[in-house]
Amino acid sequence: MASMWKEFSKGLWAEIPPFRLMLGLCPTLAVTKSANNGLGMGLAVIFVLALSNAVISLIRNIIPKKVRIACYIAIAASLVVAVELLMQAYTYPLYQQLGIFVPLIVVNCIILGRAEAFAGKNPVHLSIADGLGMGIGFTMSLTFLGALREILGYGTLFGHHLFGPGFHPVHFMVEAPGAFVSLGLILACMNLMSIRKAMRRGEKPAENPMPGCESCRGCAMGRD
Amino acid sequence: MREIIKMIVVLSAICGLSGFCLSYLKQLTAPAIENQVLTYVQGPAIKQVLADTDNDPIADRKKFTNPATGKEINVFPAIKGGKLVAIALEDFGAGFGGDIGVIVGFNVENDTLAGIGVTTMKETPGLGTVVADARFTKQFKKQPMNVDLKSKGGQIDALSGATISSTGVVTAVQNAAKVYQAIKSEATGTWK
Repeated sequence: MASMWKEFSKGLWAEIPPFRLMLGLCPTLAVTKSANNGLGMGLAVIFVLALSNAVISLIRNIIPKKVRIACYIAIAASLVVAVELLMQAYTYPLYQQLGIFVPLIVVNCIILGRAEAFAGKNPVHLSIADGLGMGIGFTMSLTFLGALREILGYGTLFGHHLFGPGFHPVHFMVEAPGAFVSLGLILACMNLMSIRKAMRRGEKPAENPMPGCESCRGCAMGRD
Repeated sequence: MREIIKMIVVLSAICGLSGFCLSYLKQLTAPAIENQVLTYVQGPAIKQVLADTDNDPIADRKKFTNPATGKEINVFPAIKGGKLVAIALEDFGAGFGGDIGVIVGFNVENDTLAGIGVTTMKETPGLGTVVADARFTKQFKKQPMNVDLKSKGGQIDALSGATISSTGVVTAVQNAAKVYQAIKSEATGTWK
Protein backbone atom coordinates (compact mmCIF):
# COMPACT_ATOMS: atom_id res chain seq x y z
CA MET A 1 0.00 0.00 0.00
CA ALA A 2 2.83 2.36 0.88
CA SER A 3 4.49 1.69 -2.44
CA MET A 4 1.23 2.48 -4.26
CA TRP A 5 1.05 5.84 -2.50
CA LYS A 6 4.70 6.52 -3.32
CA GLU A 7 4.15 5.86 -7.04
CA PHE A 8 0.95 7.90 -7.02
CA SER A 9 2.29 10.92 -5.16
CA LYS A 10 5.46 11.38 -7.17
CA GLY A 11 3.40 12.49 -10.16
CA LEU A 12 1.74 15.18 -8.07
CA TRP A 13 4.81 17.29 -7.30
CA ALA A 14 8.29 15.76 -7.33
CA GLU A 15 7.99 14.39 -10.86
CA ILE A 16 5.09 16.45 -12.21
CA PRO A 17 5.03 15.80 -15.97
CA PRO A 18 5.12 19.16 -17.71
CA PHE A 19 7.07 21.16 -15.14
CA ARG A 20 9.69 18.67 -13.92
CA LEU A 21 9.84 15.74 -16.31
CA MET A 22 9.39 18.17 -19.22
CA LEU A 23 6.98 15.75 -20.88
CA GLY A 24 3.77 16.70 -22.70
CA LEU A 25 4.73 20.31 -23.33
CA CYS A 26 2.90 20.55 -26.66
CA PRO A 27 -0.65 20.31 -25.28
CA THR A 28 0.46 22.26 -22.20
CA LEU A 29 1.20 25.26 -24.38
CA ALA A 30 -1.58 24.79 -26.91
CA VAL A 31 -4.79 24.07 -25.01
CA THR A 32 -4.28 26.27 -21.94
CA LYS A 33 -6.04 29.34 -23.33
CA SER A 34 -8.70 28.79 -20.70
CA ALA A 35 -8.85 26.85 -17.45
CA ASN A 36 -11.82 24.82 -18.70
CA ASN A 37 -9.94 23.56 -21.75
CA GLY A 38 -6.90 22.71 -19.64
CA LEU A 39 -9.08 20.75 -17.23
CA GLY A 40 -10.88 18.91 -20.03
CA MET A 41 -7.63 17.92 -21.75
CA GLY A 42 -6.17 16.82 -18.41
CA LEU A 43 -9.15 14.57 -17.68
CA ALA A 44 -8.86 12.94 -21.11
CA VAL A 45 -5.16 12.30 -20.47
CA ILE A 46 -5.87 10.77 -17.02
CA PHE A 47 -8.27 8.33 -18.66
CA VAL A 48 -5.83 7.35 -21.41
CA LEU A 49 -2.73 7.26 -19.19
CA ALA A 50 -4.22 5.19 -16.36
CA LEU A 51 -5.83 2.65 -18.69
CA SER A 52 -2.82 2.48 -20.99
CA ASN A 53 -0.50 1.86 -18.04
CA ALA A 54 -2.90 -0.80 -16.69
CA VAL A 55 -3.27 -2.68 -19.99
CA ILE A 56 0.44 -2.53 -20.83
CA SER A 57 1.34 -3.72 -17.36
CA LEU A 58 -1.14 -6.60 -17.65
CA ILE A 59 0.41 -7.92 -20.86
CA ARG A 60 3.99 -6.83 -20.20
CA ASN A 61 5.23 -10.41 -20.13
CA ILE A 62 3.67 -11.29 -23.48
CA ILE A 63 4.89 -8.29 -25.44
CA PRO A 64 8.11 -9.19 -27.28
CA LYS A 65 10.88 -6.70 -26.52
CA LYS A 66 11.61 -5.90 -30.14
CA VAL A 67 8.08 -4.68 -30.98
CA ARG A 68 7.23 -3.18 -27.60
CA ILE A 69 7.01 0.42 -28.86
CA ALA A 70 4.62 -0.60 -31.63
CA CYS A 71 2.42 -2.42 -29.11
CA TYR A 72 2.44 0.52 -26.68
CA ILE A 73 1.42 2.91 -29.45
CA ALA A 74 -1.33 0.57 -30.70
CA ILE A 75 -2.80 0.39 -27.21
CA ALA A 76 -2.49 4.13 -26.58
CA ALA A 77 -4.03 4.95 -29.98
CA SER A 78 -7.04 2.68 -29.35
CA LEU A 79 -7.63 4.32 -25.98
CA VAL A 80 -7.40 7.79 -27.54
CA VAL A 81 -9.97 6.86 -30.22
CA ALA A 82 -12.23 5.60 -27.42
CA VAL A 83 -11.81 8.89 -25.55
CA GLU A 84 -12.56 10.81 -28.75
CA LEU A 85 -15.79 8.88 -29.33
CA LEU A 86 -16.87 9.40 -25.71
CA MET A 87 -16.12 13.12 -25.90
CA GLN A 88 -18.08 13.46 -29.13
CA ALA A 89 -20.99 11.63 -27.57
CA TYR A 90 -21.17 13.41 -24.21
CA THR A 91 -19.14 16.63 -24.20
CA TYR A 92 -19.27 17.92 -27.78
CA PRO A 93 -18.48 21.62 -27.06
CA LEU A 94 -15.29 20.60 -25.22
CA TYR A 95 -14.37 18.36 -28.16
CA GLN A 96 -14.86 21.29 -30.55
CA GLN A 97 -12.64 23.49 -28.36
CA LEU A 98 -9.80 20.97 -28.05
CA GLY A 99 -9.97 20.22 -31.77
CA ILE A 100 -6.93 18.43 -33.12
CA PHE A 101 -5.24 18.06 -29.73
CA VAL A 102 -7.45 15.14 -28.71
CA PRO A 103 -6.02 12.78 -31.37
CA LEU A 104 -2.58 14.21 -30.56
CA ILE A 105 -2.80 12.65 -27.07
CA VAL A 106 -1.50 9.48 -28.76
CA VAL A 107 1.91 11.04 -29.33
CA ASN A 108 1.92 12.83 -25.99
CA CYS A 109 5.33 11.96 -24.53
CA ILE A 110 3.83 11.20 -21.14
CA ILE A 111 1.88 8.19 -22.42
CA LEU A 112 4.80 6.55 -24.21
CA GLY A 113 7.31 7.72 -21.60
CA ARG A 114 5.50 6.15 -18.66
CA ALA A 115 4.73 3.02 -20.65
CA GLU A 116 8.38 2.52 -21.47
CA ALA A 117 9.84 3.66 -18.16
CA PHE A 118 7.34 2.16 -15.75
CA ALA A 119 4.37 0.13 -16.96
CA GLY A 120 6.51 -2.21 -19.04
CA LYS A 121 8.42 -3.34 -15.96
CA ASN A 122 6.10 -3.03 -12.98
CA PRO A 123 2.99 -4.79 -11.65
CA VAL A 124 -0.52 -3.61 -12.47
CA HIS A 125 -1.48 -1.88 -9.22
CA LEU A 126 1.70 0.20 -9.17
CA SER A 127 1.32 1.08 -12.86
CA ILE A 128 -2.23 2.27 -12.31
CA ALA A 129 -1.08 4.37 -9.36
CA ASP A 130 1.73 5.85 -11.45
CA GLY A 131 -0.63 6.60 -14.34
CA LEU A 132 -3.21 8.23 -12.08
CA GLY A 133 -0.59 10.29 -10.27
CA MET A 134 1.02 11.53 -13.48
CA GLY A 135 -2.37 12.21 -15.02
CA ILE A 136 -3.61 14.18 -12.02
CA GLY A 137 -0.33 16.11 -11.88
CA PHE A 138 -0.69 16.90 -15.59
CA THR A 139 -4.29 18.02 -15.07
CA MET A 140 -3.31 20.28 -12.17
CA SER A 141 -0.50 21.88 -14.21
CA LEU A 142 -2.74 22.43 -17.21
CA THR A 143 -5.57 23.87 -15.14
CA PHE A 144 -3.13 26.14 -13.29
CA LEU A 145 -1.50 27.43 -16.47
CA GLY A 146 -4.89 27.72 -18.17
CA ALA A 147 -6.29 29.68 -15.25
CA LEU A 148 -3.26 31.99 -15.22
CA ARG A 149 -3.53 32.71 -18.93
CA GLU A 150 -7.29 33.06 -18.82
CA ILE A 151 -7.30 35.47 -15.85
CA LEU A 152 -4.64 37.73 -17.37
CA GLY A 153 -5.68 37.31 -21.00
CA TYR A 154 -9.48 37.47 -20.78
CA GLY A 155 -10.26 38.53 -17.23
CA THR A 156 -12.40 35.45 -16.64
CA LEU A 157 -11.97 32.16 -14.79
CA PHE A 158 -13.92 29.13 -16.04
CA GLY A 159 -16.03 31.63 -17.95
CA HIS A 160 -16.92 33.82 -14.98
CA HIS A 161 -15.82 37.44 -15.18
CA LEU A 162 -13.60 38.32 -12.25
CA PHE A 163 -12.92 41.99 -12.72
CA GLY A 164 -15.08 44.97 -13.50
CA PRO A 165 -15.24 46.70 -16.88
CA GLY A 166 -12.18 48.81 -16.05
CA PHE A 167 -9.83 45.82 -16.37
CA HIS A 168 -7.77 45.77 -19.56
CA PRO A 169 -6.80 42.18 -20.34
CA VAL A 170 -3.28 41.43 -21.52
CA HIS A 171 -4.09 39.73 -24.83
CA PHE A 172 -0.47 38.61 -25.17
CA MET A 173 -1.15 35.94 -22.55
CA VAL A 174 -3.57 33.96 -24.68
CA GLU A 175 -1.37 34.01 -27.75
CA ALA A 176 1.41 31.50 -28.39
CA PRO A 177 4.31 33.67 -27.15
CA GLY A 178 2.47 34.26 -23.88
CA ALA A 179 2.27 30.50 -23.36
CA PHE A 180 6.02 30.08 -23.75
CA VAL A 181 6.78 33.01 -21.46
CA SER A 182 4.39 31.74 -18.76
CA LEU A 183 5.83 28.23 -18.95
CA GLY A 184 9.36 29.59 -18.70
CA LEU A 185 8.49 31.67 -15.64
CA ILE A 186 6.80 28.72 -13.94
CA LEU A 187 9.85 26.52 -14.57
CA ALA A 188 12.12 29.24 -13.19
CA CYS A 189 9.97 29.44 -10.02
CA MET A 190 10.07 25.69 -9.56
CA ASN A 191 13.86 25.65 -9.98
CA LEU A 192 14.12 28.44 -7.43
CA MET A 193 12.03 26.44 -4.98
CA SER A 194 14.25 23.36 -5.42
CA ILE A 195 17.41 25.43 -4.90
CA ARG A 196 16.00 27.05 -1.74
CA LYS A 197 14.93 23.64 -0.40
CA ALA A 198 18.38 22.19 -0.99
CA MET A 199 20.06 25.20 0.67
CA ARG A 200 17.79 24.92 3.69
CA ARG A 201 18.80 21.30 4.07
CA GLY A 202 22.42 22.39 3.92
CA GLU A 203 23.15 20.51 0.69
CA LYS A 204 24.75 22.04 -2.33
CA PRO A 205 22.01 22.73 -4.94
CA ALA A 206 22.33 20.58 -8.07
CA GLU A 207 23.70 22.13 -11.27
CA ASN A 208 20.49 21.38 -13.06
CA PRO A 209 17.62 20.80 -10.59
CA MET A 210 15.37 19.04 -13.11
CA PRO A 211 15.11 15.29 -12.41
CA GLY A 212 14.12 14.75 -16.01
CA CYS A 213 16.73 12.45 -17.43
CA GLU A 214 17.31 10.00 -14.57
CA SER A 215 13.67 9.11 -13.99
CA CYS A 216 12.76 8.72 -17.67
CA ARG A 217 15.08 5.82 -18.48
CA GLY A 218 13.81 6.07 -22.03
CA CYS A 219 17.20 6.15 -23.68
CA ALA A 220 20.74 5.41 -22.55
CA MET A 221 21.43 8.98 -21.43
CA GLY A 222 20.09 8.79 -17.91
CA ARG A 223 21.78 5.54 -17.09
CA ASP A 224 25.34 6.65 -16.22
CA MET B 1 11.79 -18.00 -36.40
CA ARG B 2 9.75 -18.54 -33.22
CA GLU B 3 10.53 -14.98 -32.23
CA ILE B 4 9.15 -13.59 -35.48
CA ILE B 5 5.99 -15.67 -35.20
CA LYS B 6 5.47 -14.50 -31.62
CA MET B 7 5.87 -10.86 -32.67
CA ILE B 8 3.38 -11.26 -35.53
CA VAL B 9 0.84 -13.06 -33.36
CA VAL B 10 1.02 -10.57 -30.46
CA LEU B 11 0.81 -7.49 -32.70
CA SER B 12 -2.06 -8.93 -34.72
CA ALA B 13 -3.91 -9.92 -31.57
CA ILE B 14 -3.55 -6.47 -30.03
CA CYS B 15 -4.63 -4.67 -33.21
CA GLY B 16 -7.47 -7.08 -33.89
CA LEU B 17 -8.82 -6.84 -30.36
CA SER B 18 -8.64 -3.04 -30.27
CA GLY B 19 -10.31 -2.79 -33.70
CA PHE B 20 -13.12 -5.01 -32.45
CA CYS B 21 -13.63 -3.02 -29.23
CA LEU B 22 -13.49 0.34 -31.02
CA SER B 23 -16.05 -0.59 -33.67
CA TYR B 24 -18.35 -1.81 -30.90
CA LEU B 25 -17.89 1.45 -29.01
CA LYS B 26 -18.54 3.45 -32.18
CA GLN B 27 -21.82 1.62 -32.74
CA LEU B 28 -22.77 2.18 -29.13
CA THR B 29 -22.14 5.92 -29.18
CA ALA B 30 -23.49 6.59 -32.70
CA PRO B 31 -26.97 7.85 -31.63
CA ALA B 32 -25.54 10.06 -28.89
CA ILE B 33 -22.98 11.51 -31.30
CA GLU B 34 -25.62 12.19 -33.95
CA ASN B 35 -27.67 14.09 -31.38
CA GLN B 36 -24.72 16.15 -30.20
CA VAL B 37 -23.63 17.01 -33.75
CA LEU B 38 -27.15 18.13 -34.60
CA THR B 39 -27.33 20.29 -31.49
CA TYR B 40 -23.94 21.94 -31.70
CA VAL B 41 -22.94 21.93 -35.36
CA GLN B 42 -26.21 22.33 -37.24
CA GLY B 43 -28.23 23.71 -34.33
CA PRO B 44 -26.92 27.29 -34.35
CA ALA B 45 -27.37 27.54 -38.15
CA ILE B 46 -30.91 26.10 -37.97
CA LYS B 47 -31.87 28.55 -35.23
CA GLN B 48 -30.50 31.37 -37.37
CA VAL B 49 -32.50 30.30 -40.43
CA LEU B 50 -35.80 29.24 -38.84
CA ALA B 51 -35.96 32.00 -36.27
CA ASP B 52 -39.64 32.35 -35.44
CA THR B 53 -41.19 28.94 -34.77
CA ASP B 54 -43.64 27.37 -32.34
CA ASN B 55 -41.82 24.04 -32.40
CA ASP B 56 -38.27 22.72 -32.07
CA PRO B 57 -37.09 22.06 -35.64
CA ILE B 58 -34.37 19.63 -34.52
CA ALA B 59 -36.66 17.53 -32.35
CA ASP B 60 -39.31 17.37 -35.08
CA ARG B 61 -36.86 16.48 -37.82
CA LYS B 62 -37.60 13.62 -40.21
CA LYS B 63 -35.49 11.71 -42.67
CA PHE B 64 -36.63 11.74 -46.28
CA THR B 65 -35.23 9.87 -49.26
CA ASN B 66 -34.47 12.09 -52.23
CA PRO B 67 -36.19 10.30 -55.13
CA ALA B 68 -33.71 11.75 -57.61
CA THR B 69 -30.53 10.52 -55.92
CA GLY B 70 -31.74 7.93 -53.43
CA LYS B 71 -29.88 9.64 -50.57
CA GLU B 72 -31.40 10.10 -47.13
CA ILE B 73 -31.49 13.63 -45.73
CA ASN B 74 -32.63 15.26 -42.50
CA VAL B 75 -35.37 17.85 -42.99
CA PHE B 76 -36.19 20.33 -40.20
CA PRO B 77 -39.70 21.85 -40.09
CA ALA B 78 -40.72 25.29 -38.88
CA ILE B 79 -44.32 25.27 -37.64
CA LYS B 80 -46.15 28.41 -36.66
CA GLY B 81 -49.81 28.71 -35.73
CA GLY B 82 -50.26 24.97 -36.36
CA LYS B 83 -49.19 25.26 -40.01
CA LEU B 84 -45.94 24.36 -41.72
CA VAL B 85 -44.32 27.65 -42.79
CA ALA B 86 -40.79 26.62 -43.74
CA ILE B 87 -38.47 23.65 -43.96
CA ALA B 88 -34.68 23.59 -43.74
CA LEU B 89 -32.14 21.09 -44.97
CA GLU B 90 -28.38 20.90 -45.24
CA ASP B 91 -26.38 20.65 -48.44
CA PHE B 92 -22.78 21.13 -49.50
CA GLY B 93 -20.84 23.08 -52.12
CA ALA B 94 -17.15 22.91 -53.02
CA GLY B 95 -15.28 25.76 -51.36
CA PHE B 96 -11.61 26.68 -51.23
CA GLY B 97 -10.55 24.18 -48.55
CA GLY B 98 -13.16 21.50 -49.02
CA ASP B 99 -16.93 21.27 -48.87
CA ILE B 100 -18.89 24.07 -47.22
CA GLY B 101 -21.97 22.84 -45.35
CA VAL B 102 -24.97 25.19 -45.55
CA ILE B 103 -28.39 24.92 -43.92
CA VAL B 104 -30.91 26.39 -46.37
CA GLY B 105 -34.42 27.34 -45.30
CA PHE B 106 -37.32 27.42 -47.77
CA ASN B 107 -40.68 29.15 -47.26
CA VAL B 108 -43.19 26.52 -48.39
CA GLU B 109 -45.87 29.01 -49.41
CA ASN B 110 -44.02 30.86 -52.14
CA ASP B 111 -40.88 28.74 -52.59
CA THR B 112 -38.53 31.55 -51.58
CA LEU B 113 -35.45 31.26 -49.38
CA ALA B 114 -36.03 31.82 -45.69
CA GLY B 115 -32.31 32.30 -45.17
CA ILE B 116 -29.04 30.36 -44.91
CA GLY B 117 -26.57 29.44 -42.21
CA VAL B 118 -23.10 27.91 -42.61
CA THR B 119 -22.41 24.78 -40.56
CA THR B 120 -18.99 23.42 -41.50
CA MET B 121 -16.17 24.87 -43.54
CA LYS B 122 -12.39 24.85 -43.89
CA GLU B 123 -11.99 28.22 -45.59
CA THR B 124 -9.19 30.74 -45.16
CA PRO B 125 -9.66 32.47 -41.79
CA GLY B 126 -10.57 36.12 -42.21
CA LEU B 127 -11.17 35.83 -45.96
CA GLY B 128 -13.27 32.80 -46.87
CA THR B 129 -14.74 32.38 -43.40
CA VAL B 130 -16.56 35.71 -43.80
CA VAL B 131 -19.18 33.83 -45.89
CA ALA B 132 -20.60 32.67 -42.56
CA ASP B 133 -21.15 36.23 -41.37
CA ALA B 134 -24.50 38.00 -41.50
CA ARG B 135 -23.30 40.51 -44.07
CA PHE B 136 -23.02 37.74 -46.66
CA THR B 137 -25.81 35.42 -45.57
CA LYS B 138 -28.46 38.13 -45.22
CA GLN B 139 -28.39 38.56 -49.01
CA PHE B 140 -30.16 35.20 -49.36
CA LYS B 141 -33.26 36.13 -47.37
CA LYS B 142 -36.45 36.23 -49.44
CA GLN B 143 -34.62 35.47 -52.68
CA PRO B 144 -36.18 33.05 -55.16
CA MET B 145 -34.88 29.50 -55.12
CA ASN B 146 -32.61 29.74 -58.14
CA VAL B 147 -30.01 32.19 -56.81
CA ASP B 148 -26.71 32.86 -58.45
CA LEU B 149 -23.79 35.25 -58.13
CA LYS B 150 -24.07 38.71 -59.68
CA SER B 151 -21.13 37.85 -61.93
CA LYS B 152 -23.29 35.12 -63.47
CA GLY B 153 -26.41 37.26 -63.80
CA GLY B 154 -27.88 36.58 -60.38
CA GLN B 155 -28.55 38.58 -57.25
CA ILE B 156 -25.80 37.63 -54.79
CA ASP B 157 -22.71 39.81 -54.33
CA ALA B 158 -19.62 37.66 -53.93
CA LEU B 159 -17.13 38.66 -51.23
CA SER B 160 -14.04 40.39 -52.56
CA GLY B 161 -11.04 38.14 -52.07
CA ALA B 162 -13.27 35.12 -51.43
CA THR B 163 -14.78 34.28 -54.81
CA ILE B 164 -14.36 30.52 -54.49
CA SER B 165 -15.86 30.45 -51.00
CA SER B 166 -18.82 32.58 -52.16
CA THR B 167 -19.33 30.31 -55.18
CA GLY B 168 -19.20 27.29 -52.85
CA VAL B 169 -22.01 28.67 -50.70
CA VAL B 170 -24.13 29.51 -53.77
CA THR B 171 -23.56 26.00 -55.15
CA ALA B 172 -24.67 24.54 -51.83
CA VAL B 173 -27.86 26.62 -51.95
CA GLN B 174 -28.53 25.54 -55.54
CA ASN B 175 -28.02 21.87 -54.58
CA ALA B 176 -30.35 22.32 -51.61
CA ALA B 177 -32.97 23.89 -53.88
CA LYS B 178 -32.87 20.82 -56.15
CA VAL B 179 -33.41 18.55 -53.14
CA TYR B 180 -36.23 20.78 -51.87
CA GLN B 181 -38.05 20.55 -55.18
CA ALA B 182 -37.67 16.77 -55.15
CA ILE B 183 -39.04 16.22 -51.63
CA LYS B 184 -41.41 19.19 -51.23
CA SER B 185 -44.64 17.33 -51.81
CA GLU B 186 -43.66 14.52 -49.42
CA ALA B 187 -42.54 16.97 -46.74
CA THR B 188 -45.59 19.22 -46.91
CA GLY B 189 -47.75 16.09 -46.78
CA THR B 190 -46.06 14.90 -43.58
CA TRP B 191 -46.36 18.13 -41.62
CA LYS B 192 -49.62 19.66 -42.78
